[in-house]
Amino acid sequence: MPWIACELHTHTFHSDGRQTLRELAAGAKALGFECIALTDHNTMTGLQDKETIEREAGLAIVSGMEWTTFYGHMVTLGVTTYEDWRPVGPGDIHRGIARVHAGGGIAGMAHPFRIGSPICTGCFWEFDISDWNDIDYIEVWSGTFPSIKTDNARAFRLWTDKLNEGCRIAATSGRDWHSQERTEEPVAVTYLNMDEGAGTVTERAVRALAAGRASLTIGPLVTMEAVCGSGSFVIGDAVPAAELAEGRCTIHVHADFSVRRGLWSFPEQTYTVHVTGNNGVAAEGTVTADRPDCRVEVQAEGLRWLRAELWGTVRGVRALIAVTNAIYFNR
Amino acid sequence: MKKLVLDVQGQVAPVCSRSHITYRFPLGERVRKLTIHFAYEPKNMDDKDQAKALIMDSIAKYTEPEHAERVQAKWESFLPLKNLITVSVDDPVSHRGAGHRHDPEQVLVIAEAEASPGFVQGPMPAGLWDVTLSMHAVVTDSCRYTLQIWGEE
Ligand SMILES: [Zn+2]
Ligand SMILES: [Zn+2]
Repeated sequence: MPWIACELHTHTFHSDGRQTLRELAAGAKALGFECIALTDHNTMTGLQDKETIEREAGLAIVSGMEWTTFYGHMVTLGVTTYEDWRPVGPGDIHRGIARVHAGGGIAGMAHPFRIGSPICTGCFWEFDISDWNDIDYIEVWSGTFPSIKTDNARAFRLWTDKLNEGCRIAATSGRDWHSQERTEEPVAVTYLNMDEGAGTVTERAVRALAAGRASLTIGPLVTMEAVCGSGSFVIGDAVPAAELAEGRCTIHVHADFSVRRGLWSFPEQTYTVHVTGNNGVAAEGTVTADRPDCRVEVQAEGLRWLRAELWGTVRGVRALIAVTNAIYFNR
Repeated sequence: MKKLVLDVQGQVAPVCSRSHITYRFPLGERVRKLTIHFAYEPKNMDDKDQAKALIMDSIAKYTEPEHAERVQAKWESFLPLKNLITVSVDDPVSHRGAGHRHDPEQVLVIAEAEASPGFVQGPMPAGLWDVTLSMHAVVTDSCRYTLQIWGEE
């Protein structure tokens, strides 16, 4: 199954972006993206020429919309018709999400801790959430060079907390891309492991993200496999309790340094791999561009989820470079 | 011929932030094109002291205590604070789009064969249409707006 490089949060002049979909698609293609989601504020009219532009640019476009409400921004993907954000009050978001789900879409919290009104209207998530299983994903990385920003670190902790509470919730990055301005900062990519089943790219992207088959990075694509008992499991899978009888799993982490070749570069170094779960760092290893594989053993006792994190030095700072979504463990 | 179908003006205050005002008006059988003129002012909060107070409150409310001071030190980077009112339209049958953007003066067209960015072109059913003003933020003591809608056959 192929991992597809996606940019999941973008705008055009159909809302407050300063670019056409054509310009956005060309810019994304030049940065090595194979797929973008258009998530204009409160409108979907920017998708009018989607098929033509997909063909021209040679990249897939997922339909979406950012619910730009007074109490939070919610990115929706896979919806094909407008769902109305206006009747949704601070206690009503689950009713809104139900409409998104009924329309075949998924919903994520956009930049949940960006400073809110009046500096950025509705940007901070203030909706009451009574059922976290209703939230399909959290945009834990917003903007460029996202992992070093404090608002994102807070979103990342929220994601970790929810995983610890037993929610199977995905994490994404999104540039919140409004214009074709050059940036010197590393650009984040959400790789989605898309199935080759039926349906449009939009439907396959939604299936991948809904299943948590996602990996975020500002450089190499990091994937993880867990071998437990007689089974082998990948990101987004849940390991059945029966496979955990031996009490341990072998975790194989791989960093693909060949992705988006020439479009990013870090100083040559030994990267640290953390295999992290509900009990903190479960195992540690290293990879380099020449030795991109790392195998570690973890104790399965009490384990509910694991993810792989790649740490290294970027632009002179020690930073989280890549993080996978979780493999879950049924108890 | 262009005919005025709605002509209103109003004033909103900070307490109106996070509320909607909807104008519902009848559209006749033969109208093929609507042109909406919407403007509000002021756009920016010019009183720097007032803006500073709002920015400081906002940072205190939305950032974690250990970061608040550092963010507050660069409070001027958040200037100017702005009013934001957006327009959306619904015809008697379906939603006709929205213009979530910052321009304080907008001319929006909705017609059978064309529409401004964010809005939906298509058949123009007769009946009661809604134009909704969404007050994402009113920061100035008052904010005045005018809304004029023209119909064309
Ligand atoms: Zn947003
Ligand atoms: Zn956005």
